[in-house]
Amino acid sequence: MAEKNEFTDINGKAILLDCQNYSSFCREFTVSSPKVSLCKVIVCTCSVWLFAYAVFFVTENTAVLSSAIIITLVGMMMHIHLVKVEHETLLIIGSLGVQLSTSYASGRESTTFIEMSRIKDIVINEAVYMQSIIYYLCILIKDSGDPNGIASVVPLFQSSKPRLNCLVQVYKSCQAIIAQTR
Amino acid sequence: MVLKIFFPTCCNTADSGLLIGRWIPGQDSAVVLAVIHYPFIPGQVKKYLSETQNQSQVDLAVLGSWSLPKDGQEGMDSFLKDLSTIFPNSRWLQLSREIGKRGFACQVVHNRITPPDPAQGGTDKKDQIIFIHYDQRKVMLSQLHPIHEESPGEESSELRAVFHTVAQSGPLFLLDRYDEGPLKLTHWQSEGREASIVVELSKQASVPLCIVLTWLVLLSFQLFLYVVCCRILNIWPVQFISSKMSTCVQTAYRTNHFQTVFSTKKATSHMEFMRKANIFVSFLVDMSLGLLLVSWLYRENHISQLANTLVPVADHVAKELQELLEWLMGAPAGLKMNRALDQVLGRFFLYHIHLWISYIRLMSPFIEMILWYVGLSACLGLTFALSVLSDIVALLTFHIYCFYVYGARLYCLKVYGLSSLWRLFCGKKWNVLRQRVDSCSYDLDQLFIGTLLFTILLFLLPTTALYYLVFTLLRLVVVMFQGVIHLAIDLINSFPLFAMGLRLCRSYRLAEGVKFRVLCEEPGTPLHLMMEINPLKCSSVLQRYRTPTYSCYPRDSWVDLCKKLFMGELIYPWKHKTTKTD
Amino acid sequence: MGANSGPGASPCASPVGPWRKVLYARQPFPDNHVDRRFLEELRRNIRVRQYRYWAVVRETGLVAQQVSCVAVFITLWSCMDQGRLGPSVLLWAATGCALPGYGLYEMLGGKDRERPRLADLQSAAVFLAFTFGFSPVLKTLTESVSTDTVYAMSAVMLLAHLLSFPYTQPSPPGSLSLNAALFASVCLASRLPGALHTFAMLSWALLVFALWPCLLHRLRERAEWSFPWAAGLVCAGGVGGLGAVWPGGALLLSLALLVLTLACPLLLVCLQRHKDNIHGPWDEAEIREDLSRFLS
Repeated sequence: MAEKNEFTDINGKAILLDCQNYSSFCREFTVSSPKVSLCKVIVCTCSVWLFAYAVFFVTENTAVLSSAIIITLVGMMMHIHLVKVEHETLLIIGSLGVQLSTSYASGRESTTFIEMSRIKDIVINEAVYMQSIIYYLCILIKDSGDPNGIASVVPLFQSSKPRLNCLVQVYKSCQAIIAQTR
Repeated sequence: MVLKIFFPTCCNTADSGLLIGRWIPGQDSAVVLAVIHYPFIPGQVKKYLSETQNQSQVDLAVLGSWSLPKDGQEGMDSFLKDLSTIFPNSRWLQLSREIGKRGFACQVVHNRITPPDPAQGGTDKKDQIIFIHYDQRKVMLSQLHPIHEESPGEESSELRAVFHTVAQSGPLFLLDRYDEGPLKLTHWQSEGREASIVVELSKQASVPLCIVLTWLVLLSFQLFLYVVCCRILNIWPVQFISSKMSTCVQTAYRTNHFQTVFSTKKATSHMEFMRKANIFVSFLVDMSLGLLLVSWLYRENHISQLANTLVPVADHVAKELQELLEWLMGAPAGLKMNRALDQVLGRFFLYHIHLWISYIRLMSPFIEMILWYVGLSACLGLTFALSVLSDIVALLTFHIYCFYVYGARLYCLKVYGLSSLWRLFCGKKWNVLRQRVDSCSYDLDQLFIGTLLFTILLFLLPTTALYYLVFTLLRLVVVMFQGVIHLAIDLINSFPLFAMGLRLCRSYRLAEGVKFRVLCEEPGTPLHLMMEINPLKCSSVLQRYRTPTYSCYPRDSWVDLCKKLFMGELIYPWKHKTTKTD
Repeated sequence: MGANSGPGASPCASPVGPWRKVLYARQPFPDNHVDRRFLEELRRNIRVRQYRYWAVVRETGLVAQQVSCVAVFITLWSCMDQGRLGPSVLLWAATGCALPGYGLYEMLGGKDRERPRLADLQSAAVFLAFTFGFSPVLKTLTESVSTDTVYAMSAVMLLAHLLSFPYTQPSPPGSLSLNAALFASVCLASRLPGALHTFAMLSWALLVFALWPCLLHRLRERAEWSFPWAAGLVCAGGVGGLGAVWPGGALLLSLALLVLTLACPLLLVCLQRHKDNIHGPWDEAEIREDLSRFLS
């Protein structure tokens, strides 16, 4: 039931779309980004430490070295805990709702569940991003006062930013489930 | 449509019996609340359900049957099918679980009366059922955010309805406390019964005690309030001064809290309850911190040490100010100031400092005693001690405040004079009626005197501006120090300690929403999901449950503040100048 | 251009009728359509006046005498700064100038007086009192400001006075010009050695910059013949006075006055011949009606 496909994100990096089919109206899509490359970490750490050593060479103050070590450690932790997203999951359950979860490299997971009654539609949208135009998948939330209005837009796969061909695949499955259970 | 069945996890291993619960109106979902075991008499079940319904205001119903085959219970299926005729319902659920399999099997039997469709039966509907398992206790105790207090009856949201149903059906769980009823039920309370009884008894005992205590406290308190508020505070100068002293403000604030916490009215809504609890906990923490401070202060003669350092510090500040003034009276930083005005201003301020120093000399023998008595206020809480400290700082830096006010007034006068005389210089004037600048032809003598004054003010401006700048900087340092103290007070006052504790220790109590986990996917069985509670984020806990406090922050923005500083208006604390709007 | 050829040509033949220059009727022509009568309404140089040389020279006398006034004031100041003139002498001279001047002004004013005499007296009292009271303050005002700054400021202000002086309507004096001149005189006066010097200087500033233009204006209105003589007198006074203090400056001033009174009008008259203004239906509308009955 599970199928894995290789796609690229808007920057051309490889990402993995894992499509898990639990039943005809419950499907889970997981977009995993590549892991933190060791090379990059080593380069960053080395450059900070070399800079710190250069400062130490001039000032001869050992506090510089210790603070550099602390800065790199804290920076790495913050990066893992707050910035680096390992995978993003979209779980769509027909007639119940849609659940978005983002898991960070440290294992922290943030989850949001949106009930089906609040969802107006799931669409692919365009956005101007820096100098280019990108596509993204988003959920339109109904306005409680106005039946045709849209209260807000929740973008999906915000950190991995897959390309259009990946989005289309997710979009088709989602639309199939929504059409089936409505 | 997909049928959703919310099933409590504690009933997974219950003996066979009847499912009690509620059909959520408008949604295709059922909430199972408990299982009634065999043997039972259908009439008793009906009576029990109606009783419970009266108490809990939830329309309970028999949803269907539950079978967990054990040894010696054969031929149950036909019996279960017959039950659906006893409890008339449009739909009848038949849940069955087999030993060794994790998933349930489910059949929906539609009542024959309503749809005369021969192709009924469970076979084609089998896929369209979702089991959502939930932890009954957690769902019952948790509070979904954002909170809607107004209409608990008619939620559009399905999850809210589920949460509401479970929370309201408390009486169902309490009724078999002593296990004497004619029916045997399985739900979350049926496991940890003893512990809850102890809690229950202690709760019941504590209520009269609390009431007596509250009455005593309130009575004395009201008396005190009557005397203080009605007699003393309503005299004008006292009222004015007390609104400026942070100790008085803090007292009023705590009094207000005291009244809230010890009011005899029961907290009905969740927010009110949380507010009371937050205030109470922060009160306790404040008191304990204050007592710690007191115990440190009155040990090993710390007070006299403090007094011995305080007086030289005040003296030193005055000396430093004197040197600063002498520097200003020379040619500070090579600036070209008007010598005569410089001398006049410098001497004026020097005389003030002289007065101040003699005042401190006069006070110094008594300072230790004052501190000793003031230190006692820390018994009322750390916030009181801090606000007293803030007031003491304000009193000890009164000379800086005076300088600032003189400087600001002088500067303000100059700036306003210059701006209006500049208009005269250009042959314009401010039209008050139309709120704009109009051209105007002045008389010869008006022009002459205006220009004379303009020239004088323009050449004297740098001198006053320098004095103003220096004293404003000094004043800002003091205000910043007081601001830090006030921030600390505000933090203790407004931090929702109780809500934060709930979030950390019982994270399910404050729910932001739910999250689902797919449990098992055996082919042939319906989908099983686990519903877990998604706890509220710490930042939103802070934002939602923060106790509102008197604002000690500057009310205007930074740009406004800079503008005021530039125009020489007083910034703090006498800033209650109402702007005219028309 | 496009009127005769492009869009306008073909619809003319249509049975709709000729084009009319109205906006209220809907016509089958584009908005920018015009017909061949367009350039017939072109007019050139309707309002250009031909000046006569000596009349213009006569008018420039006002500008020249204002420049000379500034020169006279600077002369007085430098005399006082160098100590050649005492303040009391100047004060007596000011009184001697002011009283006949006032008499002349009143004599020329005729019978219709706008201000009562008491108001004039009051104004004079206010001037004297304020100037006298503030002169010690003014003396110490610019003590710490460097002399160059004060000179530069006064020069700029006097220039501003000359530039913003309302030459067409010199009475009452314009606010900006009078204020600039007074500011400059206060700056200069504060450099003088004593408080009485300052007082004398300010009273002269008042005479030269505020009262003299009023008198001159009245002279021009009531006794036309005397205006060139008065202007010439002031010019001669300016050049002569400056010559006593700074001969080079006097030479420059006289050159400037000559250019101003003789060369500039010549230039104007010569260039006037080359003027070429066109007027036509494209001009914005002008309301010729007399609006005074609405304004009263």
